[in-house]
Amino acid sequence: MRNRQFYIFLLLLFQVLPGQAQLDSITVLDEVVVDSKLQNFSTGQTLINLPDSLTRGTTPLLTSVLNFYTPVFFKENGLGMVSSASFRGTTASQTAVLWNGININSQLNGQTDFNTINIVGYDNIMVRGGGGSVVYGTGAIGGTIHLNTDLSFREKVENELFFEYGSFNTLDAQYRLKAARGDWSASIAAARQHSDNDYAYPDEKGENMNGQFYNNTLNLGVAYRLNNDNIFRLYTENFYGNRHFSLIRPSETKTKYRNENNRYLLEWENKAAVFTSLLKIAFLEEYYRYYGNIASENFSYGEAENYIIGYDLKYNFSDDILFNIDLTNTYTEGEGSNLGRNSRNIFSAVTFIKHRLTEKFTYEGGLRKEVTENYESPLLFSLSGSYRFSDFYSLQVNASRNFRIPTYNDLYWTSAGNTDLNPETSLQGEVGNRFFWQNFELNLTLYYIDIDEMIRWVPGNDGLWRPRNEDEVRTYGTETFLNWNKRLGDLHIDLNGSYAYTVSENLKTLKQLIYVPYHKGTMAAVVDYNNWEFHFQYLYNGEVFTRSDNNSRYNLSSYSVFNSGISYAFGKKRNSRLGVRGLNVFNKAYESVENRWMPGRNFKINLTLNF
Amino acid sequence: MMRITKLLFFGMFAAFLFNSCSKDDDSVLEQPSPAGEYADGIFVLNEGSQSAGTVTFISSDLQNLEQEIYAEVNEGDDLGLYAQSMFFTEELAFIISGGSNLITVVDRYTFELIGKIDSGLAGPRYGVAVDGKAYVTNQAAWDTNEDDYIAVIDIESLTVEETVLVNSVAEEIIEGNGFLYIQNAAYGAGNQISIFNPSNNTIEGTITTGDGLNSIDIENNKLYALSSGKFESFDLSTHHIISEITSENLKGAQNIDVENGRVYYTISNGVYSFESTATEPASSPLIEYSSNSDWGVMYGFEVKEERIFIADGGDFASNSFVEIYSTGGDLLERIEVGVGPNSFYFNGY
Repeated sequence: MRNRQFYIFLLLLFQVLPGQAQLDSITVLDEVVVDSKLQNFSTGQTLINLPDSLTRGTTPLLTSVLNFYTPVFFKENGLGMVSSASFRGTTASQTAVLWNGININSQLNGQTDFNTINIVGYDNIMVRGGGGSVVYGTGAIGGTIHLNTDLSFREKVENELFFEYGSFNTLDAQYRLKAARGDWSASIAAARQHSDNDYAYPDEKGENMNGQFYNNTLNLGVAYRLNNDNIFRLYTENFYGNRHFSLIRPSETKTKYRNENNRYLLEWENKAAVFTSLLKIAFLEEYYRYYGNIASENFSYGEAENYIIGYDLKYNFSDDILFNIDLTNTYTEGEGSNLGRNSRNIFSAVTFIKHRLTEKFTYEGGLRKEVTENYESPLLFSLSGSYRFSDFYSLQVNASRNFRIPTYNDLYWTSAGNTDLNPETSLQGEVGNRFFWQNFELNLTLYYIDIDEMIRWVPGNDGLWRPRNEDEVRTYGTETFLNWNKRLGDLHIDLNGSYAYTVSENLKTLKQLIYVPYHKGTMAAVVDYNNWEFHFQYLYNGEVFTRSDNNSRYNLSSYSVFNSGISYAFGKKRNSRLGVRGLNVFNKAYESVENRWMPGRNFKINLTLNF
Repeated sequence: MMRITKLLFFGMFAAFLFNSCSKDDDSVLEQPSPAGEYADGIFVLNEGSQSAGTVTFISSDLQNLEQEIYAEVNEGDDLGLYAQSMFFTEELAFIISGGSNLITVVDRYTFELIGKIDSGLAGPRYGVAVDGKAYVTNQAAWDTNEDDYIAVIDIESLTVEETVLVNSVAEEIIEGNGFLYIQNAAYGAGNQISIFNPSNNTIEGTITTGDGLNSIDIENNKLYALSSGKFESFDLSTHHIISEITSENLKGAQNIDVENGRVYYTISNGVYSFESTATEPASSPLIEYSSNSDWGVMYGFEVKEERIFIADGGDFASNSFVEIYSTGGDLLERIEVGVGPNSFYFNGY
């Protein structure tokens, strides 16, 4: 019966895209946007673009970048340790991370650890608030984070070397090459980061013990243009991280964690008249080892291999109507100390239509259906519209149903996994307002999300823990972004800010979820003057509950963190740059997880060479 | 100008006073008596979860209550993660925190910190003190039982002076007739009790029980064991079995506590009791209490001096409660305590 419905659905598959995609993102600094799919199918939603010109010069782990430029809240177990996101008040597995369009959340726990991603290889990072499961699959409830490497054919050879050294014996070393000539384009990025990470907590709260870590990253990209109609692209990413997990008290058992992520993606883009097709083949591999006691060689492990083949066809029915079909098959094999060996296959079909009805009004709609033996997969939809009232103001609306599928841990954990789980599903909507005035842009979004069938691990009658579809949560709130930039002679100022108000409550208890702040705000500015550049970053996190009954006595306090830096360009073509940065310059004692204090005031000195 | 400064200063001073007062308001106890504020009452050990464990004190008339007494007495210091259990000498209380490999030693009457045992422990669980030494079970790595051991601690110096491998899982440890009895069963698996001789620190034998052994107790020269669907008693001198009851009515039974010749235990949210000489278990509960907890029903249970103490684990992310009944089954008090209360201990009883 289910199959039959699916085939009927397949028959209905078409999909769409707009002829001329509007650039619907707030670009935090002016840069070209490369992800056309993202641009095409975000009609009713807010996109924030964080180009590399902005993210360069901050600590290169994804947590730091997103924390200071977006409303996404992070729980970080100390600097560089496990870091999970809460986007619009959702859980860590309800934010999807996409690497060049491929969902890279862990197959094992459904999450991304944002301190296991070094951003060196990305030319831009985009953040898209709200539902995105129709296009991006599982986990796209709170929002999606897009990590993209640009392989354009604009002729260039650009080398960059970056070294930064600072407190706690912390080193960041990066090399990047962007080169394109004729029909070839290449991108190489390599990075090494290590830190003793043995900082003293401010206010004599103690010292970070056993927190040392290092990681290595290599990103490669090659594009070849066979002719005007055929382009091949290959992307790879290899990450290796080795972290000791820091202790709260000296007597605790020391642990460490090693993980490896290898990602390979091959694309063939073909244009034929009104059709554009994209064939994708990807292989993703994740592997971790957890040493529960570093004095022993024993470890537990988990690994998953993901084989993806996808076909994406766009049909430009007219200048104003675009159809799109995407068929993808994902085959996953995983195993671990507590997982046995299991495989699963998911076939997904997605169809989209985008229609620019008038100059001012565009709408789009999409459907997604997955076929798998693992769970009952709901039909997902997305409906969006945007109306441009004037050059000054436009309105966007979106409604969608999204999901987060059960993970390997949920399904297969030894003697506890529950293969009868349903996906977590959401029904959500948002209204976005965009204002433009001279060099000023303001975006104000209101959203509402109802999430059902939330998976929670609870013990059964036999005392064994099993995941069940238990909770229902509703989150609602506002997100505000603003961007202002101004050029006055040699002076160039760029200012960004964001503010989020988030209510996220368990519908059984009507209490705010723990570790979701009501308020988060950010502010960042870059000022250029001749050879000098000055920047500052500001982060405010409101207090969070740590107790499910919202007993405020145990709240983690709100905090403000300032970073600031200055750099000077030198050399004949100003192609070298020397800078210093101060982090947490007011030496604020702060923690985003109970007893996990972050560093106080610390300094870094950096050198960038372009050639 | 001068005045404003003074005013400001006064304001700050007042704010300081106010702050300190408001902190005290959290406890509802009268002034400490010099003999030891906690000389007469009940300690409830709250396991904690993401935050450190705490101890709640309830006076023996059940009328006075003080939360987080360790932090209160010791300037905000904490007990570490996952407070598992406590044990005592005449003067001292030992609080075991399994998540921090830590034992905090305090004066049992004032709760003032005496010292900490913070090395030589690995996943400590339970302890007992005999003749100047403390014996603490340690589960070490969670994925194997082969490394479980007893840490022998010198109480004078508070250091681990010897470790003895148990060669089986090491859980509860209790004393009887000069021997220590170690429950070699945890989390619903295991069917053995080891007999440990503290005079030479060796395991001198084992007692086999029913499968799924979950709790043991000693009273009147008898060792009692409760396993899945089975109740057994053993002679403490010979270690021979005296009696056993196998019954459908004991399915899911836990938390054995033998008090004044009666056997008390729990099944789900019910408390049951029968004479220790009986041949049939109870068929209906003496008490049933109501709980919303997913996995903390009867998280702590104790019978003492005609009172039955029940701790409900709650959701392990907020304060939970204990209920105190008479052995006749009447509810005496329901008292809010800390996060994840798991056990009761007594002073002056």
